[in-house]
Amino acid sequence: MRRPSSPLTVAVWAVLALCPLVVDDWNLGLLAQLMIYGIFAMSLSFIWGQGGLLCFGQALFFGLGAYAMALTTKGLLPGVPASALVGFLLALALPGTVAFLLGLALFRGRGLVGPYFGIVTLAAAVIAERLAVNWNYIGGFNGLLDIPPLTFGSGDGAIEIFEPLPIFLIVFGAALVVYLLLLGLERSPFGTVLRGIRDNEMRAAFMGYDVARYKAASFAVAAAVAGFAGALFAIQFAFVSPAILGFALSTEVLIWVALGGKEVLLAAFLGALVVKSVENVLSDALGQYWLLVLGILFILSVVLLPRGLLAPVFRLRLPRGLRGGG
Amino acid sequence: MSPILSIEAVTKNFGGIQALNGVDLQLPDGDVKCIIGPNGCGKSTLFNIISGALPPTSGRVEFAGEDITGLTPPIISRLGVGRKFQVPAVFGDMTVTENIEIAAAAAKRAYLPLSMLRRRPDRSDYDRLLADSGLGDYAGVVASELPHGIKQRLEIMMLVTTSARLLLLDEPTAGMTEAETAATVALIRDIRANLGVSILVIEHDMAFVRELDCPVVVMMKGAVLTEGAYDDIKDDPEIRRAYLGEPVAC
Repeated sequence: MRRPSSPLTVAVWAVLALCPLVVDDWNLGLLAQLMIYGIFAMSLSFIWGQGGLLCFGQALFFGLGAYAMALTTKGLLPGVPASALVGFLLALALPGTVAFLLGLALFRGRGLVGPYFGIVTLAAAVIAERLAVNWNYIGGFNGLLDIPPLTFGSGDGAIEIFEPLPIFLIVFGAALVVYLLLLGLERSPFGTVLRGIRDNEMRAAFMGYDVARYKAASFAVAAAVAGFAGALFAIQFAFVSPAILGFALSTEVLIWVALGGKEVLLAAFLGALVVKSVENVLSDALGQYWLLVLGILFILSVVLLPRGLLAPVFRLRLPRGLRGGG
Repeated sequence: MSPILSIEAVTKNFGGIQALNGVDLQLPDGDVKCIIGPNGCGKSTLFNIISGALPPTSGRVEFAGEDITGLTPPIISRLGVGRKFQVPAVFGDMTVTENIEIAAAAAKRAYLPLSMLRRRPDRSDYDRLLADSGLGDYAGVVASELPHGIKQRLEIMMLVTTSARLLLLDEPTAGMTEAETAATVALIRDIRANLGVSILVIEHDMAFVRELDCPVVVMMKGAVLTEGAYDDIKDDPEIRRAYLGEPVAC
């Protein structure tokens, strides 16, 4: 029997919401950073866990979002006003569009499946990283520094947000909204069909579903969420570099999501928080050997608990309308 | 009555091999027909062409008066042709109710991702659908764990739920027990009688063909050899020699 675990899910969000009461400013800033990675992890959880598409280059979309925000707010895009709102819109639209077009190209006809899709996305991320390194207008190897903080209003009345507490609250709100949106999508009939396509693509196509368009649309949603996380990253760190587009971050997010549990959004979110926190502690203590520990942990998890360490705890029951035998 | 399905002079070549050699076949609206023939006679190729899995080399396929020759499977499915595969094709990782939800969403012609975001139908809608299909006891069971006969029934009921007007059933009783076969015959009769759905069946099991009691189309070497009632077919010496093999007691 499935254990109803929604009280636990609510508790996780409640504890996060209450953190400002007990956590100091320094750690609050750190936690905001971790939750940005958590949003990023949820984007991969959606496309991998629900859509069955193992994207090996998810950082491409995170980086596109971060660069879109940085270039916009620094006023480097000709004809585009230097506003954070426009930055957010671009950070959603640009990765979303790139993923949709890439998806249509990859899934049309017989379509790329399994490892081939992973390899192409990995290659795309690596190419994007190389491009960013060599393109001086967007900062080249050094990236872009001094990205303005999130600003509301303009002129004398403008409010700049750089204190840890408001940043924490904004990122927390963003994470919760992303969580609820993706969860709603997963639990809607759309989510059922998406899992159906993951399960048996041919059956879905022979019931009238345009499988390629479905997968491309889901890929675009995941990319837009990753881009959104990238935009938050840019304003929180005030710095973007080609490294956030490429191979290393793509692999990292894969490990967070695999360890947490790809099929459960909250497990993927917490996977990012936990692995990153442990990394902060252990990389001090172990230095480079930390990566070895992480690698061993990853292999153990894949072999012994392929559904992830946290997924069994946070798995939700099926939506009421889908529960059988009631 | 005008035919729901009309196949005219369809041929299909795979390289030098001629799998279909000018097939003509008509299925009147609301009728059931059974296609029999030895392995390799082109039955499955014909289904692949009707459902869009393969384009024909030449010839024409019409569904409900519309030319569907060479269209893709999703488009042909949307027009109302539902295909059951020889190996049961259901969504194995998902529960029976989830399987039905995917079919029900297809019935509303909600194929574009955006149209699927609205609320799901009331739970009782699915419950009624499942009860009507004789699947009520299995609502929460993961499809891959269903007994073979129930899995076949689920696949057929999913196609009915998509509001298909023509069912293509590829060996619906393969691997079934006698009781399951009898239940399938009853199900096919039921679907035809109550919903007016037209059905084309490929089948090897002669007991099943006799039970179904419908016109039988005999295919040989990529063409239709003859068509008639089961009793006429079974007594035709040429067919007995070619297909049933002598001596066979059916």
